[in-house]
Amino acid sequence: MVVTRSSGAGFKPNSPRTRTALRWNWDFLFLIPALSLFSVFVLYPFCSIFFRSVYQWDGVNQATFVGLKNFIEILTRDYGFWLAMRNALYWAPITIVAQMIVGFALAYILTSGVPFQSIFRAIIYFPAIVSPIVVGIVWQRIYNPFGGLLSDIGAAWHIPALMIPFLSDPKIAIFSVIVVNIWQWTGYSMILYVAGLKTIPEEILEAGTLDGAGVFKRITRIIWPMLRHVHLTLILLGIIGTLQTFPIIYVMTQGGPNHATEMLPNYIFTQAFRLQAVGYASALSVILLLLALSLSVFQMKVFGSRFAT
Amino acid sequence: MPNVKLSKSFGFVFAGLVALVWLVPVVMMLAVSFMPPNQRAPKFGGLLINGVSLDNYRTVFSDAPILRHLVNSLIIACSSVLLVVLFGSLAGYAFARLRIRWKETWFFLLISALMLPIPTMIVPLFQVNKTLGLLDNYLGLILPYAAFGTPLALIIFRSFFEGLPLEVEEAAKVDGCSKLGIYWRIVMPISWPAIAAVVIFQFMASFNEFVLALVTIDRNELKPMTLVPLMYSGQFMARPGVMFATLALITIPVLVIYVLMQRYLTRGMIAGAVKG
Repeated sequence: MVVTRSSGAGFKPNSPRTRTALRWNWDFLFLIPALSLFSVFVLYPFCSIFFRSVYQWDGVNQATFVGLKNFIEILTRDYGFWLAMRNALYWAPITIVAQMIVGFALAYILTSGVPFQSIFRAIIYFPAIVSPIVVGIVWQRIYNPFGGLLSDIGAAWHIPALMIPFLSDPKIAIFSVIVVNIWQWTGYSMILYVAGLKTIPEEILEAGTLDGAGVFKRITRIIWPMLRHVHLTLILLGIIGTLQTFPIIYVMTQGGPNHATEMLPNYIFTQAFRLQAVGYASALSVILLLLALSLSVFQMKVFGSRFAT
Repeated sequence: MPNVKLSKSFGFVFAGLVALVWLVPVVMMLAVSFMPPNQRAPKFGGLLINGVSLDNYRTVFSDAPILRHLVNSLIIACSSVLLVVLFGSLAGYAFARLRIRWKETWFFLLISALMLPIPTMIVPLFQVNKTLGLLDNYLGLILPYAAFGTPLALIIFRSFFEGLPLEVEEAAKVDGCSKLGIYWRIVMPISWPAIAAVVIFQFMASFNEFVLALVTIDRNELKPMTLVPLMYSGQFMARPGVMFATLALITIPVLVIYVLMQRYLTRGMIAGAVKG
């Protein structure tokens, strides 16, 4: 019995129905633990968001069915929501481009045999492992206009541009937080580029040199295009990362001043846990999930799914 | 070749400068944490201090049950790591070696959780925990962390198992070893590179996770490290040194794991790069 069921080579064409039935009962058990966790903590919550999004509900009392009212409200007159969307449109491109360029430059330099290169790599990667809570509080102090690092430097060397309220001026607050995000995650893209560079065969790089291609040409014409899969991965990660940005906003600005640094997860949190508008927050979550899913599916359709393995 | 030498020293200077800038916040965190408590208004946000003292760390240990919070974090992180390694490798083995109906559909379904990170699902996760009575309970964090960590583990394990040579498993099969036996006694013991990658990712993710912990754990003695800075932010407000000592202490465990296991990190990151 065990032998008939186990390997692909030894199948006898007996009744196909019993065969599949047996396989279902036995091999499928390997998936049960993962599937049960998945159903309770991923699938059910996922479905329940959609269900709750058409109710007005404070999370405790009886919910009232309101149809699409939450969605109409969000899309037509929710100031916080639209600022969060605008900020996502700043956040994703700025972060992604900065991380790709700096990350690639660092990866290129730090795989070329520079002294102490592994130490440099470790230093630049380090912020990626630090809790965003820690990062947020430390940078708050750097940005603090009263005795913070930047304002002190500005005062010492007479640079007024460094003596501004980085986090409380609504015009620049979001960019100040984006800088922190770039600082935290550039090392991650660098490591991915290092891994990508190692897959490019030595001969290709040497062939370029013999043909008389300079360093710059070699980078732009040969190496950069060959790292296509890494670029795509970073774009995808950057978009997903933008849509799930929470702790750093929560710690540094709480989305303020007046939603100037609002991001969707923080806005959802505020609605659900501060204003007790659970139905409304669910509708916001539906929009966020649909955004995340459609962007991911779009990327997979365009670029192919397992491009980085 | 002078050209190569020149570009190398340029590269060294560039990378050195970037690394220096990158270090500033880290150095500032440490400097402020070692700042003597009597120092008022330190220069450059605390980058320059006029002496080193351990007083802030002493205050943290005496005023806040920091070790208790560390133990909470370790219990939560280690349990979720254990579940993820076990569940992820079982399923990964099935996907790599066994015959399952609609295999790729199940696989896609399971890894789709990568597209639904915890912050986007916080409202219903809170409701699920409430319904199951898991608020103020380690399990209210352990189980969701494991559920959201399993997809990445699944990808890492599946691709690792698929790369293993079949011969040993075939031999064990001929000797009458069951599938579960092959998985547990033959495959798992030689899979430590994949296990290490999963351990490091899951540990860091669950140790640093914030938003679910924030809404799930309300009782102070159950709170993990990641909530500590906010718990004491009022109390430590006027004492940045104590706050920054706390931040440094929170960073140590992840740093230790990172240093111990960084060899396996790249592998996991590349597998994890399908994330999305």
